[in-house]
Amino acid sequence: MIAQLPRLHAVTDDRVAARGGLVERAAEMASVAGPRLAVHLRTRALTGAEQLGLARSLGAALAVHGSWLVVNDRVDVARAVGARAVALGRAGLSARDARRVAPEIPVARSVHDAAEARAAEGENADFLIAGAIFETASHPGGPVAGPALIEVAAAGGLQVIAIGGLTPANTPAALDAGAWGVAGIRALWDAADPAEAARAFLAVLPAAASIAVTVNGESRAMAEGITLSGLLEQLGLDPRAVVVEHNRHIVRRDGLAQVTLAGGDVVELVHFVGGG
Amino acid sequence: MIGGRTFRSRLLVGTGKYKDNATMVRALEASGADVVTVAVRRISLDRTKEEGILFHLDPSRFFLLANTAGCYSAEDAMRYARLAREAGFNEFIKLEVIGDQKTLLPDVAGLLEAARTLVKEGFTVMAYTNDDLVTALRLEEAGCAAVMPLASPIGSGLGLLNPYTIRTIKARLTVPVIVDAGVGTASDACVTMEQGVDGLLMNTALAEARDPVAMAHAMRLATEAGRAAYLAGRMARREVALPSSPTTGMLS
Repeated sequence: MIAQLPRLHAVTDDRVAARGGLVERAAEMASVAGPRLAVHLRTRALTGAEQLGLARSLGAALAVHGSWLVVNDRVDVARAVGARAVALGRAGLSARDARRVAPEIPVARSVHDAAEARAAEGENADFLIAGAIFETASHPGGPVAGPALIEVAAAGGLQVIAIGGLTPANTPAALDAGAWGVAGIRALWDAADPAEAARAFLAVLPAAASIAVTVNGESRAMAEGITLSGLLEQLGLDPRAVVVEHNRHIVRRDGLAQVTLAGGDVVELVHFVGGG
Repeated sequence: MIGGRTFRSRLLVGTGKYKDNATMVRALEASGADVVTVAVRRISLDRTKEEGILFHLDPSRFFLLANTAGCYSAEDAMRYARLAREAGFNEFIKLEVIGDQKTLLPDVAGLLEAARTLVKEGFTVMAYTNDDLVTALRLEEAGCAAVMPLASPIGSGLGLLNPYTIRTIKARLTVPVIVDAGVGTASDACVTMEQGVDGLLMNTALAEARDPVAMAHAMRLATEAGRAAYLAGRMARREVALPSSPTTGMLS
């Protein structure tokens, strides 16, 4: 169980990854969803170096808002960029293999039926991506498992992200079947306004748990998973104009996105004022 | 010359307690100072209170010397110093460890402890201290880049209470001696500089003057005059009068 696993997953495919503006669209979604969003970089068309470059810019844009970067299949790339999780497809490495490469990164496994779900549990995957649940625009008339697959996948106790034809309208059905969250491809990336599309999903997904953090002596409720850079953004503070101390440790400007706040944390935000 | 950096003016000024930021900036300009002190404080989260000083001060024009004012322990002072350095301007710190709320006199034990640690961490430490020779010597041994004895308590405006101790400190130390705190008006600044010290730091004497900008100008002149008089070498004091005009050639 990963308590902070985002509820909304924006998954790319080769088409989305190849066209321009991917990082910008991801950042727009991240700015409204914060730690409730994970963006999965999934492409087979890019070379390792290209994928690493894209993952770096994507990761930097997401980290500011506390959103997750998940890298598909390329465990090496995931490790190099410090991705929050790696997602393995049917043709990819096993969860066990992935752990040997990057023991510290949580592993998700794509599953399409009960047998694959049980196999993934056997490999000690951390969460499952189950689909296709509903009919998708990318595979019209393709095999559709229905919400029953979610129930089957969730039976082993792992968190399940439902994928395939998910919309804000059918998300409640997926949640009723036991999904932790949902994934979208076209529903998010092809939307005229990705931020608005993300917001529509978030409205029907469970809210992030709240933690109490003391900021400059005042207790404040924050969404679980928020980072120091997310906190500054929420307070409308320019990171260049403030020095941040987290639990008595100074955090450098370039490290703000890497620090996730926990309940009870104490943050001091200071600057220069007039003095003798 | 402090910690390997050369400054043009021997007058250093604070930025606190001015009635408004525009007056503060004009007073700083009139003082001719290149080093200005600032304090580290919590940012206001409701965005309605005053903004940070950097909205008013050009950090490329003035050298920002952060202080640890208001710290009552070595630990606190070190914490503030580290936060100040993280702001990214320089590694200088005006170290204050206060020992008594009423007089704001320094806690010299805490001061020495903090100075030793901060010097090890690479800080250029300028230590605010009593006008006590032995403490000043210990601070120099600890590696402080400058020692800053007081003329009289912070914000008191009582002027230079003990010229002898200040002269003694200056005579015995190798690092710069900058008198910090207590100067009230231009004559105080002048007398202090006449003791031969390397510089003078003040805040309240400007901020609380009826006209801070005019007082800053006066302090600039007084600092220069005091320094020039020191270099010129004063005449000997004698208990009897000595005529200035020739005693010969008088009419019979």
